[in-house]
Amino acid sequence: MKIIVNRQSCDGNGVCMGIAPEVFDVDDDLYLHVAEPIPEDGEIRARVRQAVTSCPILALKLVEG
Amino acid sequence: MAFEGIRRIVVAGGSLAGYSAVSELLAADYAGELLWVTGEKQGSYSKPALSKEFIQGKSEYSELFLPEIPDARGNLRVLRDARLSALDAAARTVQLEDGRSVEFDGLVICTGAVARMPAITRGMAGVLGLRTLEDAQAIKAELVGKPRIAILGGGLIGCELAASMRSFGLEITLIEGAPTLLGRTFGAVLGEYVLDMHQRNGVNVMTGATIEELVARDGRVAAARLSDRSVIETDLVLVGAGSVPATGWLEGSGLKLADGVVCDATLASSHAGIYAAGDVARWHNPFYDTQMRVEHWTSASAQGRAAARNLLRSFPGATEAPVPFADIPYFWSDQYGLKLQMVGRHDGHDRVEMHETADRALPLLTFHKQDQLVAAAGVNASRAVMRYRKQIEDDAKSRQRVAEPC
Repeated sequence: MKIIVNRQSCDGNGVCMGIAPEVFDVDDDLYLHVAEPIPEDGEIRARVRQAVTSCPILALKLVEG
Repeated sequence: MAFEGIRRIVVAGGSLAGYSAVSELLAADYAGELLWVTGEKQGSYSKPALSKEFIQGKSEYSELFLPEIPDARGNLRVLRDARLSALDAAARTVQLEDGRSVEFDGLVICTGAVARMPAITRGMAGVLGLRTLEDAQAIKAELVGKPRIAILGGGLIGCELAASMRSFGLEITLIEGAPTLLGRTFGAVLGEYVLDMHQRNGVNVMTGATIEELVARDGRVAAARLSDRSVIETDLVLVGAGSVPATGWLEGSGLKLADGVVCDATLASSHAGIYAAGDVARWHNPFYDTQMRVEHWTSASAQGRAAARNLLRSFPGATEAPVPFADIPYFWSDQYGLKLQMVGRHDGHDRVEMHETADRALPLLTFHKQDQLVAAAGVNASRAVMRYRKQIEDDAKSRQRVAEPC
């Protein structure tokens, strides 16, 4: 599982960080850091998927595998 | 799970809550028919981007749409540009606008909310609200003529529109009845900050003022007369006067309504097999032990999923029971390149604490109620706000433990 961030559109709203803080971290300059590799934990991965579809700017893309 | 005898689930509403409910049902082991009645002509789209990225021209039309939902089993039927006109909760049937009647075993109501348009603003050309993509396109089309704009309401939509319009250098008057901007949303301290921010950025802010009358010239709005008798000449009026839950079609359905669809902690309505999610749902939030309706993007997503899961769990033969939906609301706002964020609910707080930040000009504050943290807000302070989110959740859980007998 890999996350691709569209840096042009990501505005650092932190929605993803609220849903899966283990993986997403927005710093105070509103830059999104993604912790990779993404943990194998099924519960965390379910929340990562939710974070991707919850991004209001649609700046996250998920590549499974 | 087989869900014996469950033949059809209907999801009503095509915004994020409906989209999330449909995604969850398709991802779950549900093999019956799923009928999605969505008012959208195209797909579901991002609402938060409308007043910001889209109107400012930073996001294109095509970039607004949520991804297609994978339908591996082929059990999804989508009715686009369609709405339900009635529900019979006891008989478990819904009626489509065209008069057709559809029976269901499960229903998830995600019909959202509609922009509140005060009586004086209705039926006049040059007066627009913002709720849908079509509304945003109508506003964008008006901007070509570089209009002078009066914005009615200093809430989230009004403030974001004012900031977006100032990025084009347009002349803006923002009219708000309260003494600050966004005060109800962010509390009085940040309300002052937001007021100052808009004034520094050249918005003519009129607080403590309301529009008494809109004056038309040649069939189009030309001026607004305010409560203090002053008159604002204007070419366009934008209305950000809040929204009301879209429950008109549920009158007479038998469903319990009170400023939304009344739900228990699992998002179940007053009738078995009928759940609600998103702006339309007034549910019992266990974290705050109170009924609330939350009109924010992240809640819509999480509630859509939770309502869908709980609906499946409520059917005979389900292996798990429905789970309460406990939520710490979160929302943000972008204005003049700054990001305002809030987690939790500050209603009824008895103390506000100000905190030091790296940039002393940017506020960070926490809201407390009887020594417990209930909300936190900040400007460009994502990490700190999200850390408080965890603490708010821990405090809420400890309150719950106290409230629940062992």
